[in-house]
Amino acid sequence: MNTGQIISGAGHLALIGWALFGGAFRSDPPPFEVVEAVAISAEDYAAILAASRPEAVANVNTPEPPAEGEAAPAPASQADSAPAQNPPAANAAPPPPDPRPAPAPPAAVADTAPEVAPPAEDMAVLVPQVSPRPQPRPAPRVAPEPVAPPAPDARVDDLARPEVAPDAGAVVEEIPQEATAPEEATTEIVTEAERPRDPAPTASLRPRARPAAPPAPAPAPAPVAPPAPVAPPAPAPVETATPPRPETPRASPPATDRGAVSDALAAALGQGTPTPERPAGPPLTAGEKDALRVAVQRCWNVGSLSSEALATTVVVTVRMFENGKPDNASIRMLSHSGGSATAAQQAYEAARRAIIRCGADGFDLPPAKFDQWRDIEMTFNPERMRIK
Amino acid sequence: MTYLSKTMILVAGLALAACTNPDRFDSRGGANLGGGAGAGLAGSASDPRSPAYFQQAIGDRVLFAVDQSTLSAAAQATLDGQAQWLMTNRDYTAVIEGHADEQGTREYNLALGARRANAVQEYLVSRGVAGNRLRVVSYGKERPIEICSNESCYAKNRRAVTVLSAAGLGS
Amino acid sequence: MMRSLLTLLAALMLWAVPATAQQGGPLRLEITEGVIEPMPVAVPDFVADTPAAQEFARSIARVIAADLTGTGLFREIPAEAHIGRITSFDSPVQFADWRAINAQALVTGAVSVDPAGRVVVRFRIHDVFSGQELGQGQQLVGPRDGWRRIAHKVADQVYMRITGEGGYFDSRVVLVSESGPKDQRVKRLAIMDYDGANMQFLTDGAAIVLAPRFSPSGDRVLYTSYESGFPRIYLLDVASAGRRVLPTLEGTMAFAPRFAPDGRTVLYSLTQGGNTDLYTMDIASGASTRLTTAPSIETAPSYSPDGRQIVFESDRSGTPQLYIMAASGGEARRISFGEGRYGTPVWSPRGDLIAFTKQSKGRFHIGVMRVDGSEERLLTASFLDEGPTWAPNGRVIMFTRESQGPQGEARLYSVDITGRNLRQVPTPGGASDPSWGPLQD
Repeated sequence: MNTGQIISGAGHLALIGWALFGGAFRSDPPPFEVVEAVAISAEDYAAILAASRPEAVANVNTPEPPAEGEAAPAPASQADSAPAQNPPAANAAPPPPDPRPAPAPPAAVADTAPEVAPPAEDMAVLVPQVSPRPQPRPAPRVAPEPVAPPAPDARVDDLARPEVAPDAGAVVEEIPQEATAPEEATTEIVTEAERPRDPAPTASLRPRARPAAPPAPAPAPAPVAPPAPVAPPAPAPVETATPPRPETPRASPPATDRGAVSDALAAALGQGTPTPERPAGPPLTAGEKDALRVAVQRCWNVGSLSSEALATTVVVTVRMFENGKPDNASIRMLSHSGGSATAAQQAYEAARRAIIRCGADGFDLPPAKFDQWRDIEMTFNPERMRIK
Repeated sequence: MTYLSKTMILVAGLALAACTNPDRFDSRGGANLGGGAGAGLAGSASDPRSPAYFQQAIGDRVLFAVDQSTLSAAAQATLDGQAQWLMTNRDYTAVIEGHADEQGTREYNLALGARRANAVQEYLVSRGVAGNRLRVVSYGKERPIEICSNESCYAKNRRAVTVLSAAGLGS
Repeated sequence: MMRSLLTLLAALMLWAVPATAQQGGPLRLEITEGVIEPMPVAVPDFVADTPAAQEFARSIARVIAADLTGTGLFREIPAEAHIGRITSFDSPVQFADWRAINAQALVTGAVSVDPAGRVVVRFRIHDVFSGQELGQGQQLVGPRDGWRRIAHKVADQVYMRITGEGGYFDSRVVLVSESGPKDQRVKRLAIMDYDGANMQFLTDGAAIVLAPRFSPSGDRVLYTSYESGFPRIYLLDVASAGRRVLPTLEGTMAFAPRFAPDGRTVLYSLTQGGNTDLYTMDIASGASTRLTTAPSIETAPSYSPDGRQIVFESDRSGTPQLYIMAASGGEARRISFGEGRYGTPVWSPRGDLIAFTKQSKGRFHIGVMRVDGSEERLLTASFLDEGPTWAPNGRVIMFTRESQGPQGEARLYSVDITGRNLRQVPTPGGASDPSWGPLQD
């Protein structure tokens, strides 16, 4: 029965022996799969390998393109010397006054594989066939204004994500109206964050904060909040507003009781809203405030914030024009808590974008109460948005 | 390369092209290479002293249950035969290759394959084979002989194969 | 009870004195619900300041845009939609043009080729709606063939300034390039840019190679090879591709190496007599120290970023689970308790999370958990996902995904630690066992 096998076996042996010892393939590294088996003594094998070692090295260089890229030694050519000089040159940067040592891109990376270049584009498209997300698009978390009070109902529609993709094209139109609304539909991103069950670990502290990020321009970060008692537990969607106490740097958030109180206040006010009393000086009704809050939330995109920035609460102040538009130049960060100054800067920028973008056409605020909303102080607390 | 070399390679290549039953060998030709160094599977399976006999009549491999490295009764019977053969044919040494199926991480499977190979080695030694004639190596899930992704293939991949080589080459 | 009374009281009070409450101070609001969406960003072609720079003006902008959109945190507004044109790097940006297309961030730049033949790139990042520049303009200089790296560096700056997260685009990955059928797979060590470009081979395919690991500084790679017929650990110098085997006892198998954060010690698995344990080796002297002695399998070890602890995989409980112990060995604490088998844990560069491979109900997952084992989250699921590696900023994980069946092949994928943005990393052929190197200097 096995004559064939024997012949075959012997044949293989002979051939392989030939390959190994006869040097038949010396110049031809292409893998001869049959080779890497084992039954051979370690010494001999080592000897064989030793013999063929140069071959291996040669091979390393073989990768089609001559340049074996990498660091200095090998390529030696001008490519290498160049990077060395970079650092100094970088600083010479004339146009952009640059305090930082411009990170010079040193190490010549000898682009090799020319074919590889294109993949970069493909990348974006590839969709994992077996996406892990269990439920297609639960939409829960991102919902910009789910629990929103009666008034802002219109916004809820945003969630309907029909126009997910069309972003690009659609966007172009959106010039005038602050209706960035449709974009929110992009909720799908969130969707993809499968996780049917376990909640996410909260943001992660990063030990080595990138010193790189520029110190940030104007708004010198206010006194950093005390270490421990930071991010308020964020009570209901309520605004702790009521107690006017500008002096307190607002470090301490509402205590439990206060939370309850404000809950109640909110509830009470909520009921009261229907009657749009409009005497000249009264404070805004809960409904009016909610409308403003929702309007800002629609533009508060935390999708591109670092996990640390997502753990940072910032208090931002803005002065308003009588037409309901924010005075963009007046926007400042009053304080922040929960993250480094760098993270706070990013969080602040996201908050600033929210105010500017959604305020571009003016917020819907009662002109009669201008004195009440001339100055607005918004606390952006991303706790609930963290890695959802 | 000489004319002779070319001819030989050509002939050898053609001859091997006829070998179409891959899994009869250890697919990657583990046994073959051993032979390639000189000993080989020369002889007929009907010759009890031949490696071919060892490989086919006795059986050069034993299989394992999922995650296990314990030897079944059938495996022990096979290994009894192997031990006997090795005791009789003292010119040979062997490398015992441990393997795992693809269900598992690369690292764990390497360790698991080593356990399996070691179980075989210990058994053979317990049956009288000198320990210095045996070496073990694990391939983890790197070298399956069956490539489908279900239990019928996995069962054959969870194996330990005793690969012979001529003693002269052994350590 | 007390609470509700209080509430009621408060409500009544408010009801009674609506007007007095807010006089004087600013209106205060708390914003807690936002949206999560990619930020629209525009990256118009860079301006070519010299004729020779023409070829880079567009390609650099394209690489930057690809880097940013590849994170899932940004989406690009295509050039066709742009209204504004950047014709001079130094002229003021007409923000209205970019606001009109709702770009929130705008990256502008100029390229020139200096007399020495080097590529000089200047760039600025703008916050469109506030009309301000984010940070200050920068200039980067590099060799012509290093233009992709320059682009990656620009993208890293954009990413860092907008998200606050460290960058990772200018980084490389070592991997095993795979070809051939499943039962005769040829594996070669290779190195490439994080985005799959510039792949180069470091070994031929003669011997099986497994699981390469970058050194902390990216100058060396540890990997396992069957070059000697038995698995041994090799140390390879990336620049010269020169390699040497690390000494291990005859008759043993060494694998699953990983560098200590100091780059001088190797943590690895050694199998002797069928038992696999953890060891460390001082690279300079070659002296090994045994860390575990259990009869069970201990493998796939990984150091914490501070080098003081080790997380590893062990089946001492009966199935593979994750454990943490001191870097010097000793008592280990189990951290994985979910249903299934856990393996290949890798400590995140930030130190707070551990990525792992999980096998449960016939599926494989890449997941993360806190160091104490809490808050486990699975980020992926497929027939076979394994071997996670962290991006230098700890925000993204790359891993191997192998497809099922006789035609199955391995590919690299990446996923954000939020579980979003799963995507394939383009490689010329099959690929497995990625190890993400550090951000380059």
